[in-house]
Amino acid sequence: MNDQEPKIDLKSICKNIIGIGKNYKDPLKEHVPTDEDPFIFAKPTTSLITEGSSIQIPKGWGTIIHEVELGVVIGKRAKFVSEDIAMDHVLGYVLALDMGKSLEFDKYPILLIKGFDTSCPISDFIPKSKINNVNNLNLKLSVNGNTRHDGNTQDLIHKIPKLISYLSNYFTLDYGDLILTGTPAGISTVKHGDVIEASLENLANIKFPVVEIQ
Amino acid sequence: MASQVIKVQTVCRNIIAVARNYTEHAKELGNPVPKENPLVFGKPVSSIITEGEIQIPHGWKELHHEVELGVVIGKPGKFIKPENAMDHVMGYVLVLDMTARSIQQELKKQGYPWFLAKGFDTSCPISDFIPKSAVNDVHNLNLKLAVNGIIKQNGNTKDMIFKVPDLLSYISNYFKLEYGDLILTGTPSGVSGVKHGDIIEASLDDLAKIKFPVVENEK
Repeated sequence: MNDQEPKIDLKSICKNIIGIGKNYKDPLKEHVPTDEDPFIFAKPTTSLITEGSSIQIPKGWGTIIHEVELGVVIGKRAKFVSEDIAMDHVLGYVLALDMGKSLEFDKYPILLIKGFDTSCPISDFIPKSKINNVNNLNLKLSVNGNTRHDGNTQDLIHKIPKLISYLSNYFTLDYGDLILTGTPAGISTVKHGDVIEASLENLANIKFPVVEIQ
Repeated sequence: MASQVIKVQTVCRNIIAVARNYTEHAKELGNPVPKENPLVFGKPVSSIITEGEIQIPHGWKELHHEVELGVVIGKPGKFIKPENAMDHVMGYVLVLDMTARSIQQELKKQGYPWFLAKGFDTSCPISDFIPKSAVNDVHNLNLKLAVNGIIKQNGNTKDMIFKVPDLLSYISNYFKLEYGDLILTGTPSGVSGVKHGDIIEASLDDLAKIKFPVVENEK
């Protein structure tokens, strides 16, 4: 049986990265607002880095924050797709870090906070066939060996088919586009010299050093 | 000598725009004028159209037009000094930064990003590519826009708060600029609402002319 999957280099094919904020149930809150529209933003494709590169804090920022996310890669053009067929448009997944300046959305433009170069470290591409249940995947992140995030995609507020359907009503999603589906709790700061490691179950493992640009 | 026809919609992988870069436009919306740094935001490349209709998402009823000079990057760069910035420019386009103003205001109130209000499909109509050599002075270009034949916006790029070299330099400090990237440099005053059935015409000096009808999606 030929098990060869085409090698997908997301940095080359991706033309759009859409991020979803506030998309994990808060264990401290009882009410889960599923009827609210998703909080959406974008990261430029220049933010993508793969292992071997370091996360670069812009000069003078001091610290940045980390978020660990399941990234969904689109395989088939999607516009006005309904939820029931949305997963047909998925090519596969990546483990992604959604790095940010801070949570001060009222103080700085979100493009700056969320989109600076190297703010989107990703794992190798994970083909769709490798994942049995996308709604039961563990997401873990540690800084210098200390666990910060330890969540599960079962806690996604807006699930993947809903996200694809909602986004495709307003934005044509194309082959190679990446949707970052949100982060479980555990956001903290990192600074020059720190090392971030993250995993998606046993499907992907990534490690990125953090440096501040001098 | 054959001239290369640049199709921005094909080569562009990033659109970075600047808000409130003309004083009168900031004032007309009751917004503070940025003092220290340009106010940047993004539009997805999926929003670019070169022909056809501007489509208002179903239920949104109205959009605001914003006519802008778009700068197209030729030579990639990062940490570009203002004095070298124009070396990285390969040309220009005339652009409409279509905006769902009431959606934008609602998002602002909720503390949500503007992305939906600025990035929906067809929200970035552009003209044909204008080679750099066709422009004598990028800071003395007339930007004009009419709705159903009535002039609404009539400005000049000399009124930009942050000029093109400073914009490119600032942007390149945080975002590597690559071949084909499109930078929208802001709109003069005169923004107004357009709805289903309206026709927008715009011009950049005598360098580019565009015409786009506006429709509201039925679904």
